[in-house]
Amino acid sequence: MPITYDMMKRATAQLYEWSLRKVPDDTLDALRRARESETNQVARKTLGILLRSAEMAETQDRLVCSDSGVPNYVISIGTGVRLEGDIKRAVADGFDELVATTNPPLLKHVTNPLTNERSYRGKEMPLVTWDLADGADHVEIVCQPKALGSGRWAAMEIFTFPTLEQIERYVMECVLKAGSQHCPPVSIGVGIGGTFDYCAKLAARATLRPYGTVNPEPILAAMEERLLRAVNATGFGPMGTGGDTTALGVHVEYAAGHGFTPVAVAFNCWINRRTRARLYEDGRLERVE
Amino acid sequence: MEEEIRRLRLPLSAEDALSLRAGDMVLLDGEITITAGLPTHHRIVEVAEGQREAPRDLHRGSLFHLGSYSRETDGGGFEVLYMNPTTSTRFNPLMPGLIRHFGLRAVGGKGGLDAACVEALREVGGVYLSFVGGGAPLLSDAIRAVVAVNWNDLVSHYRLVTLEVEGLGPLTVGIDAHGNSLYGSLSETAAARMPEIMAELARARAAAGGTA
Repeated sequence: MPITYDMMKRATAQLYEWSLRKVPDDTLDALRRARESETNQVARKTLGILLRSAEMAETQDRLVCSDSGVPNYVISIGTGVRLEGDIKRAVADGFDELVATTNPPLLKHVTNPLTNERSYRGKEMPLVTWDLADGADHVEIVCQPKALGSGRWAAMEIFTFPTLEQIERYVMECVLKAGSQHCPPVSIGVGIGGTFDYCAKLAARATLRPYGTVNPEPILAAMEERLLRAVNATGFGPMGTGGDTTALGVHVEYAAGHGFTPVAVAFNCWINRRTRARLYEDGRLERVE
Repeated sequence: MEEEIRRLRLPLSAEDALSLRAGDMVLLDGEITITAGLPTHHRIVEVAEGQREAPRDLHRGSLFHLGSYSRETDGGGFEVLYMNPTTSTRFNPLMPGLIRHFGLRAVGGKGGLDAACVEALREVGGVYLSFVGGGAPLLSDAIRAVVAVNWNDLVSHYRLVTLEVEGLGPLTVGIDAHGNSLYGSLSETAAARMPEIMAELARARAAAGGTA
């Protein structure tokens, strides 16, 4: 049996719902570890408050944050999967269904950039990135509702044959500019190379990587480690009121490109909202994280 | 944790506001007015400039950058289902005027305010309080009553909402009434550390066998 419109619609609605109410396990672990090692007293307490908020949201089935963000999905279709019906429309309809049925209701964050009018719907909503996975027998859906608090501070600059020093300096400049404002401790995604649009995508994808994952590229594995130390040396701390924990992870992804090398930096707030699940032809929706 | 945290009554007295120092943590009881909207702030500016009637008296009160979901109830009342802070720096250009005009004793949200706001708070004896972002379950639990919801022609989180709260927090004093700002000092410290941070990055790159 192929994956149908109804299966896809249910899945996208469900993933959005999960994302708003559950802080990912890797993120909770990272917050707990940070609380153990944090030397600033206010910061330790702040980390405790964040963990308490996450726990209350989960046990009482509530929203962690009032900013449910804009709907943002990354969908990878396995080439071994058969699809039937209006799969693309199913994603939009799934989000509409969630908006209509979820309790408590979501705030209207979808904004028309030409008029600043706010609603739940709009041009190209939800934002979906489609991909293919050769040979996979499922559709993988990642839902990452993106809110203003951290989304506001993403930045990109195009360099010409930059050195690693220039790239790292740019990341640090973005960190200084965001300062206390992006709901730290954050996840930082860095994209290097490709083209303008591809680089931004790399940075966004990098924020989806779970904490503790190591980049298979040795140059980047080392860069991630030293950038994380550098970011935490700034001292902004949890919620930007001081401390050792400004970021829980820095993830860097790269793509080959021309010598004009874009560098993009994206931030995820401490909640690090993302849910990843796999939809199979028999209708099974397997939650991965 | 709470037992160590000071509990203050709103409206904040001049003495209480002056007694706070940047980095202190507090819990609040009493009446707060909240909004997360730029259109709402523009209307409050109009109130300050005498072009619009004030739906609530904001003088010496608490105005927080908290977004909320409010809805009408069957009995003609309102309920606020949840609330949570938004980034205060978005309101930097407007806040000094509002702080001075209304003599605000407590403002707040998340991410802080700029130096012009720090100066305005020092002049009027007011503080900036940091709410945890993503604290909706915790912060919403402090709501005891909806006192008023005004400007209902705006979307729910842009409305001017006045609430009675109990044990709101814990909140961190980000800017005190004496001109001390954690945001200002942390930014300065971070900027001052940059040469050292870049030197350490260079050392780590060399150790990793980096080429540049």
